[in-house]
Amino acid sequence: MKVKIPEKWDMEYDVVVVGWGAAGTAAAVTAHDRGARVLILEKMPDGGGNTRICGGNIIIPKGKEFIDYLDSLSFKTTERGIIETFVEYAIKNGDWIREMGADVQVFAPLEVAYPTMIAGAGFPHLPGAETVVKYNIKGTPQEGKPSQRLWKFLSGLVSKRGIQVLTGTPAKELIMNLEGEVIGVLAEKESKAVQIKARRALILTCGGFENDPGMKWDYLPVKPVLFLGTPANTGDGIRMVQKIGGDIWHMTRLSCLVGFKAPEFEAAFWVAFLSEGFIFVDKYGRRFVNEAGIEIHEYYRELSRFDVEEMEFPRVPMYAIFDEQTRRRGPLSRGTAGYNRDLYNWSLDNSAEIAKGWISTGKTAAELASRISIDPQVLAATVERYNHNCQSGKDPDFGRAREDLRALEPPLYAIQLWPALINTQGGPRRDKEARVLDPDGRPIPRLYAAGELGSIWGYLYQGACNIGEGLVFGRIAGRNAAGEKPWS
Amino acid sequence: MSTILADRNFVVQASRDRVWRLIGKVIFSTLPGMEQVEILDENSFRALLKMKLSGVGLTMRLKGEMVDVSPPQSFAVRLSIDGPGGLQMDQKVSIALTPLEKGKTAIAFKATAEKMGILMRSFFLGPARRFAQSTFEAIEKRLQELA
Repeated sequence: MKVKIPEKWDMEYDVVVVGWGAAGTAAAVTAHDRGARVLILEKMPDGGGNTRICGGNIIIPKGKEFIDYLDSLSFKTTERGIIETFVEYAIKNGDWIREMGADVQVFAPLEVAYPTMIAGAGFPHLPGAETVVKYNIKGTPQEGKPSQRLWKFLSGLVSKRGIQVLTGTPAKELIMNLEGEVIGVLAEKESKAVQIKARRALILTCGGFENDPGMKWDYLPVKPVLFLGTPANTGDGIRMVQKIGGDIWHMTRLSCLVGFKAPEFEAAFWVAFLSEGFIFVDKYGRRFVNEAGIEIHEYYRELSRFDVEEMEFPRVPMYAIFDEQTRRRGPLSRGTAGYNRDLYNWSLDNSAEIAKGWISTGKTAAELASRISIDPQVLAATVERYNHNCQSGKDPDFGRAREDLRALEPPLYAIQLWPALINTQGGPRRDKEARVLDPDGRPIPRLYAAGELGSIWGYLYQGACNIGEGLVFGRIAGRNAAGEKPWS
Repeated sequence: MSTILADRNFVVQASRDRVWRLIGKVIFSTLPGMEQVEILDENSFRALLKMKLSGVGLTMRLKGEMVDVSPPQSFAVRLSIDGPGGLQMDQKVSIALTPLEKGKTAIAFKATAEKMGILMRSFFLGPARRFAQSTFEAIEKRLQELA
């Protein structure tokens, strides 16, 4: 264990929060409102992280049966007591938001796209699924997308209170004393080291490791996997906690869609379809899945099949093959979420992306195949069989539902797709009081964590629970951090 | 003052929950000439609607918002339609689902024009009625196929 106690601190606060998204805001605001002097450190030029570019929905379950639902999803990877605490607080997420001066509205989406953003449970067959209700911050489209409204509300809470925020200031190392307490943090501002004392506690809310290629290769079940969210999440919190002997959990868990990667953009583009006229094929031109039946956060399960003979993931990358009606129906990359949302306007009829070469085209399946280095005979046979299934109204190959079947009519198009992370779930193991634990299950004194950094979602993931969890454990961490007795 | 464009009532052999899950995609896939759909918010969209009037192709700009959503019973879509030459019409399409015995569901569609100038009424009331009626028929046909 490293112990480096500075002779002189550059700054001094009661509570230091590392990372400024939903969890960091809830933690900072709660600690502040309990009388603590709070500092937020944010490595990026602006706050928000994944919160400001996600779907913007917040889980507010309508009953305690939600505990059973989450317990099933967790597959024994998270102690039931932690889930019980989460649900107890999540039921009050709406009350907290109202106390803070905003209001919520039920998320009732147009279920028109593939993958489908659904209002209810991602796994509706499980007990307690009926308690799933998603909300977002009340407002109109003119007031921004749900995540923009969410971040406007959350960042406003910080500015209204005058809580100090240092942007462009990544945390580098946790500072412990001889008793093993976390007493501060070493950060970096404009290439200079800054030593910040945390008199009461330190709270880590700095996200996962979506943009750390090494950690992803080590821990995630499909390789490579790109990211759709903030590039800021490079596993900083995980490394800091490991250096002081903290335990980690849920490192193999992820929320993963499919995305297109353009070389000139750091993040991938989330790709969705507004018409049923599309299929997915592997890198050899073969269908492999019911394309319309994949739970929106769980795409990696379909992509992580490894071929031991060929020593490769045959579905990475894969291709979406779609037709003219689908091309004209609407942009493949929607503006709802993702880091690129505010950086690029995907053309409404996808013509600009065809011109850029991001989308390939062919008058026939065979011609299209030759443009994407797939065997023309294989892709032609795949499309012919799929079209035959559409005409018969049944998909015996993969069970795609009748309502999702429409034959592909030329000209045809292809876009290369990769597994693309919304976020990872792994990080420091914590308990129901948001305390970071060591490998023996003992809390590391004065250290808390919340949000996507070591979230409680250890197996299957229910949509809207990352923001919900960030608000819940952010509040818990903020309350407990403010309640610590100062060490000096 | 609102003007009824079309209404249609029918029964399908499917549960209300299934019809609710199908209805959005069926409406979208059934609307002829719907292109360049841009999802603005999870309840709002913009699109182009390409249609023919007396053999002449027209492109209308459509803006839609889901309102009065009460899953799985009812919702309405408020549509704002802008055509060439400053033509403008606001429509509201209401959809209600009522469960019946033996797993059936009664579906009621109603489209009304909420705001229609004299010019619009003169030239487009008839075509708008035919378009709404034919769309409802297509939706019914598709739902019956899928039920």
